[in-house]
Amino acid sequence: MAVVEQREQLVEGSPGRKPGSRSRWIALSLTLALVLLFPAIAVPIFDSYTYVIQVGMLVLMWISMSSSWNILGGFAGYISLGHGVFFAVGGYSAGLALAHWGISPFWFLPLAGLAAMFVGFLAGLITLRTRGPAFIVATIAMLFLFLLWFDNWEFIGASSGLDLPLFEFPVRWLKVPFYYAMALSAIGAVYLSYRVAHSKFGLGLRAISQDETKAEVAGINTRWYKVWAFALSAIFIGTAGAIYGYSLTHLRPLTFFAIAVAARMVLMAIIGGRGTVAGPVLGAILIIGVNEFAVRQMGESALNIVFTGAILVVALLFFPEGIVGSLRRAGKLPAFLDWD
Amino acid sequence: MQWVQVVVLGLLLGGVYAMMASGLTLLFGVMRVVNLAHAAFILVASYITYVLFENLALDPMVSLFVTLPLMFVMGVVLYLLLFPRLEDSPRYVEMTVLLTFGLALIVEGMLTFTFTGIFRSVRPEYATTSMNVGEIFLPTSQVYASLISFALLIGLWLVLRYTKTGTAIRATMQNRAAAQIVGVNVRRVSALAFGIGMALAGAAGSLLSFMFPFFPARHWQWIALLLALIVLGGMGSIKGAVIGALLLAVASAIVTFTIGPTWSPITFYLTLFVILLIRPQGLFGAKVRL
Repeated sequence: MAVVEQREQLVEGSPGRKPGSRSRWIALSLTLALVLLFPAIAVPIFDSYTYVIQVGMLVLMWISMSSSWNILGGFAGYISLGHGVFFAVGGYSAGLALAHWGISPFWFLPLAGLAAMFVGFLAGLITLRTRGPAFIVATIAMLFLFLLWFDNWEFIGASSGLDLPLFEFPVRWLKVPFYYAMALSAIGAVYLSYRVAHSKFGLGLRAISQDETKAEVAGINTRWYKVWAFALSAIFIGTAGAIYGYSLTHLRPLTFFAIAVAARMVLMAIIGGRGTVAGPVLGAILIIGVNEFAVRQMGESALNIVFTGAILVVALLFFPEGIVGSLRRAGKLPAFLDWD
Repeated sequence: MQWVQVVVLGLLLGGVYAMMASGLTLLFGVMRVVNLAHAAFILVASYITYVLFENLALDPMVSLFVTLPLMFVMGVVLYLLLFPRLEDSPRYVEMTVLLTFGLALIVEGMLTFTFTGIFRSVRPEYATTSMNVGEIFLPTSQVYASLISFALLIGLWLVLRYTKTGTAIRATMQNRAAAQIVGVNVRRVSALAFGIGMALAGAAGSLLSFMFPFFPARHWQWIALLLALIVLGGMGSIKGAVIGALLLAVASAIVTFTIGPTWSPITFYLTLFVILLIRPQGLFGAKVRL
């Protein structure tokens, strides 16, 4: 632990136990309470209750995914554009369990996470033999390989998809169980991200992202650190996939493998701040908020994907450190957002 | 005889792939940029060709003279707008990959918005005819496209080999810092290389427009294919890209013939994967550690 505390002293603007730590805990408790009570609070406020809960579920889903992606892409600095694979592994493993053995995806959740982690571990073993741009290219190749396989695998319905039995629940409250399951996944992802950030393991990952050779010389087993980062980053993307797939009741490969899915995780983490705990959360809330607003105002259109791309380009050019990173550099990061 | 036919068809396609990939590999060689938007820009040229053909009945091979210079200018402008800002970034390579990824999304979205997602194709007369040489039949469109591709590739080679600018480009590819020391304006060379890469993408787009039907999201398939070609040949090596293109095109033609067309893309993805793992520098790659 000594190492970690020393690092805390070193992180600019966040020396050890800082005065702001009380406001952090207050903010945390408030956020948690809001997340858990939201379905109840929303009843009298919003007319379109189902829609509101659905958006809440989406926000939680993307928090889960971008926080997870951030473990590999942010802390370790290995940018993967193939994490859609774990979304699919989670979605399809839970979907198959339901369709073939009648196990509810809600109970299957831990196994879906483990399945994704296992595939992530194997994928990490293979793709992490490369680095830099070659790694990015390798993850894209992985995504396409899996897509091709799923598209032609009759057992899981190939490209036409897999139908799941409906979830029996009063229609008005139908989305609520999905919301809570997703909340569980999101909380798990953020907690994992926090624990990684505050561990020797996370310290090692940051060292790798800065200079891999020096990290290796300093005695870090870079290979296993990276592979484990890859495996951990897959878990809560898998659980998110399981819940999301069930809420759709129809699984198609493209729902999970679409390059736009992978792109969004990356985008949210970068907008919020790569390599920070609060960054991906903030990014997810922001992007989904803006997106839902745009869809409501102008309808679903191809321009959405243009905005996704444009925001990514602008963020990279003008504030590559993201919101949290830029604020910290300016010394203006509010304490309740400082989780590193 | 059947096998000769398969190989010949593969080689014809390979010629076009080679030109598509040469721009991408040139860019990587000069700027260390993996341009994920390359195929998206190829599609832009395809759509320009489509519009010219539908409205003015302009032959796609003639519209090459429009798309090629147009895309060159676009390339230089894009470079000057986007890349100098990133040059000092400590994570230059990753930043540029993400940047071009964003560009690809923008282009795809705008194409979908303008032309919708449905299949388009340009159908001049020669798109549906074929020539016969002995027992081997050759689709006319692919013969034309291949010939033009090889002509452009030879042109590229001549420019790189015999002009002063070409020498500067090659010097920058070999060693950026050293090129700068002997007085090469590296930024100008990069802008030019980006322009040339985009011009080649433009030409490829015009040729592809009458070979395959296309839709905006198609470019992801193309870019995966192109990446496989240049990774096989060694990123940054134009000779490697040409040989990689011919090899893989023939391989995928054989897979299509023996196993079926659904599985032919797997040739590219698997090659990409395997080569990255066992020989990341590719067949002819410079000794760059990726």
